[in-house]
Amino acid sequence: MPELDVALRELGRQVEFPPTPDVASAIRGRLERRRPWRRPLVIALAVLVVAIGAVLAVPPARTAILDWLGLRHVSIVRVDKLPPTDPIVHLDLGRETSLARVPLWALVPDDKPDRVFVDGGTVNLVWGDPQKPRLLLTEFRGEAFIEKLVEPNDDVEAVKVNGRPGAWLEQPHVVMFKDLRGRIRDESARLAGKTLLWQHGDVTLRLEGDLTKEEALRIARSAD
Amino acid sequence: MSRPREESELVERARRGDESAYEELVRAHQGIAFRTAYLVVGSAAEAEEAAQEGFVKAYRALGRFRPGSPFRPWLLQIVANEARNRRRSEGRRAALAVRAAAEEGSSGGAAPSPEGALLAGEEREQLLEAINGLREEERLVIACRYFLDLSEEETAAVLDVRVGTVKSRTSRALDHLRESYA
Repeated sequence: MPELDVALRELGRQVEFPPTPDVASAIRGRLERRRPWRRPLVIALAVLVVAIGAVLAVPPARTAILDWLGLRHVSIVRVDKLPPTDPIVHLDLGRETSLARVPLWALVPDDKPDRVFVDGGTVNLVWGDPQKPRLLLTEFRGEAFIEKLVEPNDDVEAVKVNGRPGAWLEQPHVVMFKDLRGRIRDESARLAGKTLLWQHGDVTLRLEGDLTKEEALRIARSAD
Repeated sequence: MSRPREESELVERARRGDESAYEELVRAHQGIAFRTAYLVVGSAAEAEEAAQEGFVKAYRALGRFRPGSPFRPWLLQIVANEARNRRRSEGRRAALAVRAAAEEGSSGGAAPSPEGALLAGEEREQLLEAINGLREEERLVIACRYFLDLSEEETAAVLDVRVGTVKSRTSRALDHLRESYA
């Protein structure tokens, strides 16, 4: 009887596996990184009205603005006055995890985050103190959406991140979003400062912190 | 066999959205990916689904692939993860569904090695039986190392454990096999 090691290698050569299927052909046509927008924005708006109960002054050009921005999962709604919002008392970032275990669809910038959190279908990458992040990158996908209420006359600038559509917002705005389970994340509504929003396929990314537009774009490009 | 430089070029092109480059990568790795999934789920149909899903997810995750690092362990980790999820959802323990080929060369495989003649049919059966009798985690580590010929690093990626765990698990599994096989 041969040495076990040799016998195992020998057996390995004789083991019979089912024939390999043609995976390459089977997945052809499934490699699109973008998925069609499936939920009409009207629903997003209705949810927003119920959730906030504020008087919304929706400009007639709203759709045009969205088209201009190219952000399908995000709508930017201009209002006369922002609803009152408490300053951030507690950031609900979800369950802490590690970069190695972050969902595969999530994008990670070259400059690795200090902490990683996952909450439902949302990934939060944090630089600095999780309760007072220097930088926060929130990522979600699927049918989630962000609503932003922007004061009139705010500048919303269309930007590109490696050719993908995005928007740069310098003025305070309120953010609400719905996660994949359909929960409205009003508990995480907060007054955000400078924000870069962009889309990569069906993933929507939102980077906020005290950054210049160029710094934000550099970080965004490195994650893309 | 794989040509590392060419492969990294294909990965880079696929990262930039070149689907035909990715298809080449899929063709190069679909065999090992399917067999890995098959060992984990124990069913050809589910292994096929896991491999397909794994390749699609890997393509979408290419933006997170570190350029220059080896592609195969990264890919196998994703495929094995898909396979594990299917096994869990089925709620059953995957039986090692491998059989030694009935006749040498009947499957048109590689030429018998010099020591090939050493392992007689009866011993082969005995050894397979011993492997099937191992605990799942030991059975898988043996299958990855000896049946799929994966490196320790690749085995660690497939089993989602550290390389040190692969080493200790392999040595424990070999001890158990010696007990029943000797």
